Amino acid sequence: MIVVEDLLVEAGDFRLEVERLEVGEGEYLVVLGPSGVGKTLLLHAIAGLVMPRRGRILIGGRDATYLPPEARGVALVPQDYALFPHMTVAENIAYGLRLRGIPRGEALERARAIAERLGIAHLLGRKPGTLSGGERQRVALARALVVEPRVLLLDEPLSSLDPRARIEGRRLLAQLHERLRFTAVHVTHSLPEALALADRVAYLESGRLACTCSPRGFLESPYAEPYLEELSLLRGGSMER
Amino acid sequence: MRRGAHRLEAALLVLAALSSLLVLFLALPIAALYLKVDPHVASRLLGGPLRGEVVSAFKVSLLASAAALSGLLVLGIPLAYTLARLDFPGKRLVEALVDIPLALPHTVAGIMILEAYGSRGLLGGGLSRLGLVLEDHFLGVVAVMAFVSAPLLVDTVKVGFQSIPESLEAVARTLGASRLRAFLDISLPLALRSIAAGSLLAWARGLSEVGALLVVAYYPKTVNILILEYLSIYGLPYAAALAAIYAALALGVFTALRVLVS
Repeated sequence: MIVVEDLLVEAGDFRLEVERLEVGEGEYLVVLGPSGVGKTLLLHAIAGLVMPRRGRILIGGRDATYLPPEARGVALVPQDYALFPHMTVAENIAYGLRLRGIPRGEALERARAIAERLGIAHLLGRKPGTLSGGERQRVALARALVVEPRVLLLDEPLSSLDPRARIEGRRLLAQLHERLRFTAVHVTHSLPEALALADRVAYLESGRLACTCSPRGFLESPYAEPYLEELSLLRGGSMER
Repeated sequence: MRRGAHRLEAALLVLAALSSLLVLFLALPIAALYLKVDPHVASRLLGGPLRGEVVSAFKVSLLASAAALSGLLVLGIPLAYTLARLDFPGKRLVEALVDIPLALPHTVAGIMILEAYGSRGLLGGGLSRLGLVLEDHFLGVVAVMAFVSAPLLVDTVKVGFQSIPESLEAVARTLGASRLRAFLDISLPLALRSIAAGSLLAWARGLSEVGALLVVAYYPKTVNILILEYLSIYGLPYAAALAAIYAALALGVFTALRVLVS
């Protein structure tokens, strides 16, 4: 579904280089790595929000390297959810449908339908500024999924949530993926999130793809060590208390 | 704890005292203008033989400042957006150029406009052939007002666009919006408040200009030019009376717009 070949993207002095990355149809790929290694940049390159200096990006078999974001069939859920503050929840969700020429009434109907599936129908008349973190995440997901994108790009979608909402968010993403089988690229620096959701894990380090493997394979790789060490430290700390 | 609370209250008192001083400093000249104005002179201006030129000067001031602002909105919003969102070679130079009118003495701004767009200026010949003459024409008044007020509009709107997270437009783009559509649907409505604030500042700045007008377009007379003229011909009472009428109108419009913006 997505093929990234010989990619070089620059942002200031930072260089992201990916020799080859493939994401299969309906696959849930989690891109893991510490802060500042280029995870978001990779997502933005796939979305068409930054232009690569070199390389190719194919989406659905089509060369999308120089296509504008609106022509790629991808939907993005950024870290801050980026809900449009001047629109109601219903208008936010219906926005992508309206851009496709769907009449307002029908677009709002479809927005209601997906809102009901995500348990946020009671929020449709509200403005984003009045929502909790978990509610905002659901609205952002509904807005992205209602246009039935070929690829869903998720940029740390759970990082701003409290622990309970994060667990619920993980469950929701897993359920949605199970039901809708969209292709997903999910960026995070959380190992539990990666293990809960990923079909495969891609690990980025210093602007390069260090490994692509199954979640189990990743756990056995040296790249998992800092994460496991942190988990064991946490467990040790809580036991001492 | 109590001592801390007292200290806080003392700090607030100092703040209030300093703030009040500045408010008084600004308010007193306005009050003085109205306390000292001669009602007899003011009524002569509004109802006597001078009424014609006073009304005409107000019309010129208001129409020219509105025309300047309209032009600035059409050209200034795209420039502000470009400066807020895009990086390009020479961007810092463009930003400095936009701000130059703020740093110039007003007469210098007038001379520069004349040298560039006046009938004997760099582009003057071409503009004259198109019937666009600045010297002592309404167009000259508009050009002067636009030149001196452009930085206030562009800078205020630029800051407004910068405060809108880029992720909003990014999401709109991936949902199917072109760059223009994302601008129109997302950034422009969210920047309306800063556009209104910038417009207000730019309009007020244009309306208050006099130095550059003396160089480029003494005629048709704006209120500011007329106030200067009355000062030199009839003396302070006439100038003060006209200034009081002008200040009432300007303050009224300014306050009304501010209320609307907020």
